[in-house]
Amino acid sequence: MRVVVAEDVMLTREGITRLLTDAGVDVVGEAGDAASLLHAVRATQPDAAVVDIRMPPTHTDEGLVAAQQIRAEHPDTGVLILSQYIEPHYAMRLIEEHPERVGYLLKERVFDVANLTDALRRLADRETVVDPTIVARLFARKRLAGPLDQLTGREREVLALVAEGLSNRAIAARLFVTERTVEAHVKQIFLKLGLSTDPGSHRRVLAVLAYLRSAA
Amino acid sequence: MERLWPRLAVPARPALAVPSRLAAPARLAAGLAGLAAAAGALAVAERPGRSTTYAGSSAAGAALTLSAGLALIAAGLVICLGPRPRRTGDLALLAGFTWFAPVWAAWQNGPPLIPSLAMALGGFTFPLIVHLVLAYPAGRASPAPARALIAAAYVEALLAAAVLALFRDPYLDPSCLANCNVNIFLVRSLPSLAHAAGIADRWFAAAAAAGLIAICAARLVAGWRPARRRLLPVAVPAIMFAAAVAARAVALQRTTVEDPFNAALFAIFAVASAAIVFLATGLISGVVRARAERRAIARIAVNLGEAPAPGSLQTALAEALHDPELRIAYWLPGARRYVNTSGHAVPEPAAKPGGTVTRLMRNGRTVAAVSHAGPSPGLESHIGPAITLGLENERLQAELLAQLGELRASRARIVEDADAERRRLERDLHDGAQQRLLALSYDIRLARTSAAADGDTAAQLTLATAMEETGAALEELRELAHGIYPAVLAEAGLAPALATLADTAPLPVQILRADDRRYPAPVEAAAYFVVAEAIGDAARRGADRAAVTVAHEGGQLVVTVEDNGTGRDAPMVTLTDRVGALGGSLYIMEAACRAEIPCASS
Repeated sequence: MRVVVAEDVMLTREGITRLLTDAGVDVVGEAGDAASLLHAVRATQPDAAVVDIRMPPTHTDEGLVAAQQIRAEHPDTGVLILSQYIEPHYAMRLIEEHPERVGYLLKERVFDVANLTDALRRLADRETVVDPTIVARLFARKRLAGPLDQLTGREREVLALVAEGLSNRAIAARLFVTERTVEAHVKQIFLKLGLSTDPGSHRRVLAVLAYLRSAA
Repeated sequence: MERLWPRLAVPARPALAVPSRLAAPARLAAGLAGLAAAAGALAVAERPGRSTTYAGSSAAGAALTLSAGLALIAAGLVICLGPRPRRTGDLALLAGFTWFAPVWAAWQNGPPLIPSLAMALGGFTFPLIVHLVLAYPAGRASPAPARALIAAAYVEALLAAAVLALFRDPYLDPSCLANCNVNIFLVRSLPSLAHAAGIADRWFAAAAAAGLIAICAARLVAGWRPARRRLLPVAVPAIMFAAAVAARAVALQRTTVEDPFNAALFAIFAVASAAIVFLATGLISGVVRARAERRAIARIAVNLGEAPAPGSLQTALAEALHDPELRIAYWLPGARRYVNTSGHAVPEPAAKPGGTVTRLMRNGRTVAAVSHAGPSPGLESHIGPAITLGLENERLQAELLAQLGELRASRARIVEDADAERRRLERDLHDGAQQRLLALSYDIRLARTSAAADGDTAAQLTLATAMEETGAALEELRELAHGIYPAVLAEAGLAPALATLADTAPLPVQILRADDRRYPAPVEAAAYFVVAEAIGDAARRGADRAAVTVAHEGGQLVVTVEDNGTGRDAPMVTLTDRVGALGGSLYIMEAACRAEIPCASS
């Protein structure tokens, strides 16, 4: 797998590069800002780009903007955003336009190389990656009695994995059940929650995240 | 009493330096003399020289001569009996006298002094009218070209009169008609010089008339509407009169003898006379209007007793003076600047074309400067002590508002600075401490890997604990930074920030309405912290739900947080301060907290 790493703090960038190299990933380019990131992606056509959300010059959302541009220009290149914010808004903004091959991970998580390579592999499988911390926080949200209470424990488990961006097949593997069982669960969940999105589509991640945020 | 009255910075000079005590009787006497001059002129016109003057040539000529001269004298008296400026009145009186001079010059069997004198004085009507028109309405001519024209007209009239008086022998003058016999001032008979002087006089009159037309037209064009309305009744007849003067000069150039039976010349005379009558009427109407304005202003003073709303004096004065563009600027001696009624700084008022800036004083101190149409003595003399006191009140009010505005701006700046500081702190935590902790956790992970490779289980255990601690520290740091200033608020706006707030709230929070509109940063921050504080307060009071509404209503960001908690008592002083600093209000009710924050942009 060929990857470009974009991160303005050199120490972190080198750490990530070294972790990836050690894990057998081919780091074909490194960038310190959005412009050189786009340049590197155009030049190397990598499988994925690992991008810090905050980069020069304004240190706000340059990473997100660059991610959208990469997804629009290079459909075969996935983008994994690294962020220090547990902020569903950024994750949702990221998957809003291009719901597949994008991921939003908390920075500290990537130093566990298994997390990082797993996320990159999922992007290659056209999945979406949403940091479990974000999903956990949305599940922990205080809310009034609602359809979410009607879900069984297993259904909640499935819903969380859907929100993290896993495909039915990945969920089945994670839960040691068949893909057909997961499919049935997902259909049931969407029915209970009244979600109209096609439960099989990539768009379902956004629909579930939005639902988890809105149902007070 | 006179002292207390508001005074002009430049006091009006007494007109023509007539001692003020004698001025009124002298002017009345002048008026009576004017009537006598008119009656005498009528008598003279009926005498043998009748065919040599317009007045004697026909009944119409007599009527025109009399009505024009008497109108000038009447206007002069009316102005002189009114308030300032009296110079205009004196000029009108004098012009009225000289108007009759050509008739007196035709007195053939009278005392020789009269025709001789009348011959010399006849030429002064024009410069007097020029002076009168250009000095209207202030009593003083202001632009340099106008003053130059007046001076030139007087000097030329004086020179021409001197040449005629000293060197013109009527007996030898081929162009003589009205007075062909006497000139008691004659020193030496120089017919050719007198003839040349006559020609020069006519050409000068034509040129000066053109100048008068140009200046009047320019003043009409440049003046803004209220000023133009005041000027029109005098400037238009003046242009008409000047046109007649120029036409006469051209006509005489062809005929040499001013024959009153010449149809063209008589028509020109008729136009000039009519113009003079209109001019006098315009002058009188100006006096009448000034009186009406004075009465209207007096009514303002009466209404002051009913405690009018602050700032209403400008409107009242503008209405009284029919000048919608009248502006009052109040002087703040402490801040050394002018402000308007609402306390906003305004530039020092400057006079517009055809207008004046009148500085109103009280006890020797400037109260206000009024920029208005018309002459400054007019306004200054109309405004009595009551209105000045009212203006002083408004000045104090404006001063208070100005100070309040400054205070509010300084409060807003303090909050803004504090917010900027919070934002900086949040960034520093993310870019500094958090990055270091990340690097640390990375190093620990590497160390643990190598410990695992070495089979050092004790070190592995310690490093695992260290990693957990680092993770916890990162987590706490992130919460701390978010609490100081949520980055999403600055970067994505109020709605996403409130959504995150609801995600982590200790009780169910419904965001009922919040659009993605962006507001100025201080407004967003105030709204955010109001909601955060209100939710925290709701949780403390045992509420089990809260609902947030954000709406943009009439230039205000209105944030409402409702909850079902009990026993609300905390006044939320810090929030009140924060919202108040932006000129907004915070309302704490039993079941809701509502903030209204003015937001100018987007």
